[in-house]
Amino acid sequence: MSSCNHDDWFDRDPKQMITDDQLWNNPKLITSLLANYYNRLPTLHGVFNTGGMTEIDDAMWSGHRDQNWRNDFQFGDDYGRYWDYGLIRDLNLSLENIGKLSTQLSDEQKRQFIAELRFIRAFVYFEMVKRMGGVPIVTTQLIYDFSGDPTPLQVPRAKEYEVYDFIFTELEAIKEDLAGNIKSKTRANRYAVLALESRAMLYAASIAKYNSLMGSPVTTPGGEVGIPASMANDYYTKSLTASKEIISGPYKLFNENPDKGANFYDMLNKKTGSEVIFAKDYVTGLKVHRFAYDNIVKSLTEDNESSSTISPSLSFVESFDYLDGSKGVLHDRDAAGNYIAYSRISDIFANKDARLYGTVVYPGTTFKNLPVSIQAGVAVWNDGTYQLTTAAELGKNYTDGQLWTGFDGPKDDAMDVSNTGFYIRKFVSDAPAASTRGTSAANWWPWFRLGEIYLNAAEAAFELGQADARDYINTLRERAGFPANSIQTLTTDIIRNERRVELAFEDHRYFDLKRWRIAHLVWDGSENDPNAVVHGLFAYRVIRPGHPDNGKFIFERVRPSRFRRARFFRLANYYSSIAQDVLNKNPKLVRNPFQ
Amino acid sequence: MKSKLLISLVITAGLLFTGCEYDNFEAPGAMLSGKVVYEGKAVGVRSNGPQLELWQDGFPLRSLIPVFINQDGTFSASLFDGKYKLVRKGDSPWLQQATDTIIVNVKGNTYLDVPVTPYFTITDESFQKSGNTVTARFAVNKIVENARVELVRLYLGKSILTDQVQRELRVDGNADNLVFGQQTVIAGEIPDNLKNLDYVFARLGVKSTSSGEYYYTPVQKVALK
Repeated sequence: MSSCNHDDWFDRDPKQMITDDQLWNNPKLITSLLANYYNRLPTLHGVFNTGGMTEIDDAMWSGHRDQNWRNDFQFGDDYGRYWDYGLIRDLNLSLENIGKLSTQLSDEQKRQFIAELRFIRAFVYFEMVKRMGGVPIVTTQLIYDFSGDPTPLQVPRAKEYEVYDFIFTELEAIKEDLAGNIKSKTRANRYAVLALESRAMLYAASIAKYNSLMGSPVTTPGGEVGIPASMANDYYTKSLTASKEIISGPYKLFNENPDKGANFYDMLNKKTGSEVIFAKDYVTGLKVHRFAYDNIVKSLTEDNESSSTISPSLSFVESFDYLDGSKGVLHDRDAAGNYIAYSRISDIFANKDARLYGTVVYPGTTFKNLPVSIQAGVAVWNDGTYQLTTAAELGKNYTDGQLWTGFDGPKDDAMDVSNTGFYIRKFVSDAPAASTRGTSAANWWPWFRLGEIYLNAAEAAFELGQADARDYINTLRERAGFPANSIQTLTTDIIRNERRVELAFEDHRYFDLKRWRIAHLVWDGSENDPNAVVHGLFAYRVIRPGHPDNGKFIFERVRPSRFRRARFFRLANYYSSIAQDVLNKNPKLVRNPFQ
Repeated sequence: MKSKLLISLVITAGLLFTGCEYDNFEAPGAMLSGKVVYEGKAVGVRSNGPQLELWQDGFPLRSLIPVFINQDGTFSASLFDGKYKLVRKGDSPWLQQATDTIIVNVKGNTYLDVPVTPYFTITDESFQKSGNTVTARFAVNKIVENARVELVRLYLGKSILTDQVQRELRVDGNADNLVFGQQTVIAGEIPDNLKNLDYVFARLGVKSTSSGEYYYTPVQKVALK
């Protein structure tokens, strides 16, 4: 009986649990919750998703055979499906709790946390709308009242433009509240907000414009899919306004290395400079990724498995222009169809856009200051033609005592060695032991960077008919080694190609082709199409004693045999299908077209 | 000792024989087969392309059963006896009729012709080879009033699976000057890699702007020798 006096003994704070009151009054705990949300920001082919990067026309899969389906698949109706109302609910719950329970935070702190949560929510909605079209806009917790009637929980889909408008108003409302993050590159600040605005508004504008230009626009009667053409100009203007503010802000295009090619690689590999606006960061020993393990050049691998997974395609390599402004098609044969011999293996790539070096490892270049050994075989002159032969083993010498097939291949139908003759350089860390599984890589993932903003500005200004559109592109091309004012007359094709080369492997191309409504034309599924089918370029050393071409190199275009099926984007892929269980649960949801 | 062994043997045997009842399901025994038709004629499609959808009500799992269509318009699906709903999907060479379902009663082997409304059809087609040229003569007919033609094409291929995706030669016809119901001609030069074959396969396709898929004529063998 006397023990009852010590009531406080029963009334202690739990040691294994953090209560809502504790959480929402402790900035450190809120920050770590935010870290969880930032870590869950969605992506399709981004954030070092090696596999996803090999599912479009920029590259094929050369890694383990168990994932060769990436070279032999067709975009399903559900490709890119993203419907994450679990994350939306978490964010809504946090927003409600911080409003209700945070009593000990300063006003400024509170506003900043709320702004960050709303930024993440807007980001998630953007990711949903660009894949699914208009989605239900849910901004509060949906709680069932056990009345037997679930209809209040069944939110119908908003119109596609309503979601974009929601994103815009959300971002406009929070951009003043993030002053505390102005120096941060991994938490949302004013410029990350503007960058998302710049991108989202550009998407809305181009869907409005280019969907209406299709033979039969992809729409639903209720506007869940498709944006009226009349809204395009307004969206382009909003995007341009946001882009202009970022460009006149504290960011500068990365320009630290006089070697333009290496500079482009350093831009994303080093964490210096002020090009990157908002990134997902990694730290050795704490949070790492295995992009270098997946993709390092074969002979430089530090682990006993993997390497060489992403093999960039020939059509991608050829999309890089020559510095004199001519189209990037490689000159492998002359007009008569004869091979052109080059004295050095890298000469065929000479005078190309420096971004090629920064993105792709091609024959005759280096990685980590070590030369790569990319050579498919030898071409022996025999009876008036070249016989192309390859060694059974990588790195073997031919009977003349010189290299036959390089240590890095390329080799057709081989695993963990390039099947196209190219390796990826962009995002592959050159840090010591980055390609081992024990240490792994810690270079960061840029969600937004200034290069993209220049391209967004150029596209929006061009669509609005403003003359300075080309200046944005020319500034970006100067960084890539082109002379000043390299483009006189801007066209949509130039803008689109510029986005392909500048933003390759950064999770843009799939969505860019979608919003321009040309994905079904570029990836038309036809086995004869140079873009829909990934091709390679194999280099051979000429053996033709007594002839001036002896010892030089010729190049052969190949279709890798591991690449089985042309990329095929159907009209149904413009909007991913909504999962059947989602439709079953909510009868108010309208299906996507063709679903 | 001996009885223990015996008991454990009996138990094991018991488990072995009774356990089987739970994890064995009967395989579907009925076959639904048929073809997609317009005015009684099969509609040719791209192989591995357009699909039909089957649904069945009354079960907790509500999920579609995809039905693939062969290049000549035939299809088949292995099912249980029962009542199904068949849906004609969009992004096919015919009108989407997502709400206009066809009720199918499957009992044993069931045959069903699925009527569809193609945007366009091709009729009276013929293929002639003279020299190195294959000439196709045909008429395109408009079926859906507000449909627009995007492309009319002649395909040559090595195999019976010749279409927009698998082909050796593709020749575009003049879609802008097309007169519906009137004879149109497309001629194609046989490519070098087909010249020495005994025969090639020829096919015509027409695509409306409303869909990514073509309406195809039946594949025809054209003798080269």
